[in-house]
Amino acid sequence: MKLYHQIKSQLMLQQRGGVLTDRLVQSPADFGLGQLPKPLQPDAVVDSVCGFCATGCSLKVHLQQGAAINLSANPDYPVNIGMACPKGWESLAPLAASDRAEQPLLRDASGQQQPVEWAQAMDVFCSRFKAIQAQHGPESVAFLSTGQIVAEEMAFLGALAKFGMGWLHGDGNTRQCMATAVVAYKQAFGFDAPPYTYQDFEESDVLVFVGANPCIAHPIMWQRVMRNQRQPEIVVVDPRKTETAMAATQHLQIQPKSDLVLFYGLAARIIELGRTDADFIAAHTQDFAAFERFLADYSLEKAAQASGIAIEELDALAHLISSGKRVSFWWTMGVNQSYEGTRLAQSLINLALMTGNIGKPGTGANSITGQCNAMGSRLFSNTTGLLGGRQFEDARHREQVAERLGIPAARIPSENSLSYSEIIDGIEAGRIKGLWMIATNSAHSWINQKRFARIREQLDFFVVQDLYATTESAQLADLVLPAAGWGEKEGVFINSERRIGRTRKVRQAPGQALSDFNIFRLIAHHWGCSEWFQEWSSPEAVFKILRDLSQGMPCDFTGITDYAALDQAGGIQWPYPAQQLTAILAGADPKQRRLFEDGCFYHPDQRAKFMFEAPRAMPEPSDQDYPFLLLTGRGTSSQWHTQTRTGKSAVLRKLYPQHAYVEMHPDDAARLQLADNAPVSIRSRRGQVVATAVLLTTVQPGQVFMPMHYRVTNQLTADAYDPYSKQPSYKACAVQITPFIA
Amino acid sequence: MPDSLTVEESPLEMLLQEQRSLQTPVGQFSEQHASLATQSKASFYQQLLPISKPKAGEQYAFKVELDKCTGCKACVSACHSLNGLDEQETWRDVGTLSGGCGDQAYSQTVTTACHHCVDPACLNGCPVLAYEKDAETGIVRHLDDQCIGCQYCVLKCPYDVPKYSKKLGIVRKCDLCHSRLAVGEAPACVQACPTEAISVQIVNQAEQMSAARSGGDFLAAAPDPAYTVPTTHYVSQRTIPEDVHALNQHALRPEPTHWPLVWMLLLTQMAAGLFLFDWLFLGPPVLPLLAWSLLLLGLIASTTHLGRPLGAWRAFLGLRRSWLSREIAVFSVFFFFASAYVASQLWPQVFSGLTGYLSLATTLSGFAGVYCSIMIYVDTQRPFWAGLPTSLRFGGSSLLFGLLAIGLSRLLSGESVQWIAGLTWLLALLKLGYEAYQVWGPHSRAAKMTPTKKSAALMRGPLQAILHLRFASAIGFMLLLAPFCFGAQWLLGMGALALLLLITEFSERVLFFRAVAAPKMPGSIDT
Repeated sequence: MKLYHQIKSQLMLQQRGGVLTDRLVQSPADFGLGQLPKPLQPDAVVDSVCGFCATGCSLKVHLQQGAAINLSANPDYPVNIGMACPKGWESLAPLAASDRAEQPLLRDASGQQQPVEWAQAMDVFCSRFKAIQAQHGPESVAFLSTGQIVAEEMAFLGALAKFGMGWLHGDGNTRQCMATAVVAYKQAFGFDAPPYTYQDFEESDVLVFVGANPCIAHPIMWQRVMRNQRQPEIVVVDPRKTETAMAATQHLQIQPKSDLVLFYGLAARIIELGRTDADFIAAHTQDFAAFERFLADYSLEKAAQASGIAIEELDALAHLISSGKRVSFWWTMGVNQSYEGTRLAQSLINLALMTGNIGKPGTGANSITGQCNAMGSRLFSNTTGLLGGRQFEDARHREQVAERLGIPAARIPSENSLSYSEIIDGIEAGRIKGLWMIATNSAHSWINQKRFARIREQLDFFVVQDLYATTESAQLADLVLPAAGWGEKEGVFINSERRIGRTRKVRQAPGQALSDFNIFRLIAHHWGCSEWFQEWSSPEAVFKILRDLSQGMPCDFTGITDYAALDQAGGIQWPYPAQQLTAILAGADPKQRRLFEDGCFYHPDQRAKFMFEAPRAMPEPSDQDYPFLLLTGRGTSSQWHTQTRTGKSAVLRKLYPQHAYVEMHPDDAARLQLADNAPVSIRSRRGQVVATAVLLTTVQPGQVFMPMHYRVTNQLTADAYDPYSKQPSYKACAVQITPFIA
Repeated sequence: MPDSLTVEESPLEMLLQEQRSLQTPVGQFSEQHASLATQSKASFYQQLLPISKPKAGEQYAFKVELDKCTGCKACVSACHSLNGLDEQETWRDVGTLSGGCGDQAYSQTVTTACHHCVDPACLNGCPVLAYEKDAETGIVRHLDDQCIGCQYCVLKCPYDVPKYSKKLGIVRKCDLCHSRLAVGEAPACVQACPTEAISVQIVNQAEQMSAARSGGDFLAAAPDPAYTVPTTHYVSQRTIPEDVHALNQHALRPEPTHWPLVWMLLLTQMAAGLFLFDWLFLGPPVLPLLAWSLLLLGLIASTTHLGRPLGAWRAFLGLRRSWLSREIAVFSVFFFFASAYVASQLWPQVFSGLTGYLSLATTLSGFAGVYCSIMIYVDTQRPFWAGLPTSLRFGGSSLLFGLLAIGLSRLLSGESVQWIAGLTWLLALLKLGYEAYQVWGPHSRAAKMTPTKKSAALMRGPLQAILHLRFASAIGFMLLLAPFCFGAQWLLGMGALALLLLITEFSERVLFFRAVAAPKMPGSIDT
């Protein structure tokens, strides 16, 4: 019959239409979606915030019978205004991957991971962790979480582990991405509060991007820069001529890690020129005099010498920053992932403060965050800070939380958790014997990666909770818990500009996979602590708990009554306190709100604090044996971190190089007789890997660049950390490069 | 989940059930969106579309402002999603141009899709007229149900635009979202570009033609626009350095083998050669029968290359422009004459007196077919497939097999094969010599990457094993053939020669397909 139809359909001389044509023929779709092919006509649409990066774009998910069949960018959301990057467009593809974990997997006596029922998985989970705690003390277990799950789940995890299960230690992969910004803001402003709104991209006269490549890392933020009608100066400070540096009006191609000397030199020059905003400094800051004294040791000459940038160029920049125009400073991982990142971020905050570039449109010292809910974790992960941006050490804070949660205050630890790197150290030292990892992939992403594989041997019990049992970490696990992913569950993310937005369930999870939220409920039940979590019955119930917990804190969003309020508003930035609700609504555009417009910061004296410290030498500079400095970073807009999800989309796979590569300057390659696209061996003091040499003049001689998305890259990186934020310094280590001989 | 249900009631089952339930959000979510979205969306792209429709001699074309393209690649995935393409299918690509040094270091991402050429090579090559250039809009559209999946357009297009789907058995390509444009909606890529780098404009076709054919600029490191006259305009205010190149210029990716075509070409060329020498020397009756069988096998092989062979009967439609149409038509004639010729030998009483004419007609049509085969590849404008190398390969194969066959038959009947062996030896040397030149000639050491250098690099790199097979078997063939040039009459040796010739010509043909440098728009890092 099929053959008959096939033959019949090909009897015509000119076959202008037919089954093949019909697959793509478009007709007008409902919901303002324009023309869409017939098979993709939705019967409903729903808005959901993207689950990759912290831009927080809203995606319009196209549904048929309640299930997602496609999506497009939401034109009515103030963040992305109808745009999305390829990861957003491909958000549904990773859910349909063939290697989704559909059942718990337990390692058997022979070392093989075998499928087991949830009941058995829960028994093993509870009994093994309890046994470790019984033998080695309650502090001998830890969890490592993520910036990729919804705030309700983060809070549940932190509360369950610490208040329910009696754990002390837990941290997240957010340590790898924005811990530095957190500490920098806390010390300078008194609270972890990125002050900007995306509208500032459009309203700035001078945008200074430091260690940031938004063109590919945050393309939808770059969209906002391109919408700027003020003909802005765009200054990019980066050792590489990145896509963003190409698109900028000025590129300061500095020597790696000369940034702190550079920004102190600029500050010294601005003071020398007498071009500070003295009124603002006097009214709203403290410690400026000490900063001024400290800067006596810095100058443009010193900055020029360290950075390799001509002194005239630096002088022009000092004038530009202090010109009274609207100047905004933006940074990402080039700053955060540094052994002196906290002071570096604060050197930018200092420049903004001393020139009065804060609290006004188009200004600010602005950390662009990485993960979709890193900002949520900053407030609610309950790891190295108590729920709602509070401190574990603060008895009053513990009382507040205990009261709202209806638990005895004694259940709340009075000390802080170890940070990620300290947990790793603890495992290595044998103090931590059990580890529970949720939605992250340390076996790929942790700095000096081979050390992670080694310390796994030290663990008595290692649990990984993820969408896929195939991640590098899940393959090392004793127990794998199958989780639902973005699009298979409800909750909120908080984006880089503090905007709280909803993400929704639009697909069924495969097999027995459960949302992280439901896994936590199940664990609470099996652990025997569900009495403390009666109220934690649904994501929205938890959202209301979090809303209440924000009360009285700088992040107060008690004005957001429930999910419906968020739906109605289309995302709301904190703060949004209930008592000011009417005022906010009566005010100007409530969709775009920046902090510190009144000049009041969150320290008790309401003043921002200048923070500074003498720069230190790079932990591992290049030398005779390891003559190249290895820089790492994002490769393309179609890759996300360890590729756990982006590697599952056929479209995204087409948009990035399939195998590890190293960008190097043609002059270096000529010296080493390396051909373009030839395999090379890259060795650091920690490992040796093979990658393809790509010859580019956008990297400086003596430096090479490898994207972080390939497994081999972190076998090379050196485990140095910022002393305040404990964030790993991924960006620079010494390597040698030789032709690869098979 | 209602709050009253607690986890204690039946924890796992309840949670699994909740996980499986999807809300039916029709009433809940959609109403508020139905009305407002279209207007707000349209206002973004209105200035990216022409205000009027193309007049006579004009057409729609993409315009790309390179200075705004920063490599986010949203255009690729938006096109994929909004056009409902298959999982692996993309109609846009983004590549990178690189060059310059120091302060002048240059890196530019380039988004590219179909260029809706004024003189589209895909359309010109299509044997069944499955392409049309829309009279009003100039959009080069592909008629999916008319397509037979021959993939010749894939070889013809210098920009790697038509994409073959094995699943569907047809090619599909960008249609500039013609149905969106028709209602004033922007193409998916235009709608999705966060920096408004892509727009649609109206261009004059005659102006495009004269600019492209008088050496006008299209895009650095892109194929020469003179061939198809692409209409996309790439504009930039930046200074583009002299040494600009695509980032994938040194990536060595062999092209597909096209097994059915390897078989088809070799078998039909064998048949033509056999018929030729049979006509020249009046070979034994088994020779035409063998040639006819080879031809039949070759034609069967050719249909297995088609994604939808049932529509192949329409192949005559493209006779005016397509060498593939002509090849199919001429091979049909070839097969007709060959069949008649073989029949006339089997039943001489029926075809009394016609055998000689039929033999000649078969030979002529056979070589006309080989000529069409050559032209199919020459017409792709790929240097590796230029007239001389392709003629030497295809014609050479034909003559070599013909000579060997007639030699074998003479050997069997005890006649001398000395001069035939000598001629074969010289021809084999000539053919191999030119291929050696393609592999090791001066172009292979050129400073800049060129198509001929790339072919050489492909053969010496990833295709080395096949290259070694080709040369080792060819040299073995010539060594074994040498004694025959001096009077040897060794039947078993002749059999071994036939086997060696099959192996060496087969590997030659695989190299022919795999080592061609296919022109493309600049690509990105390719590892």
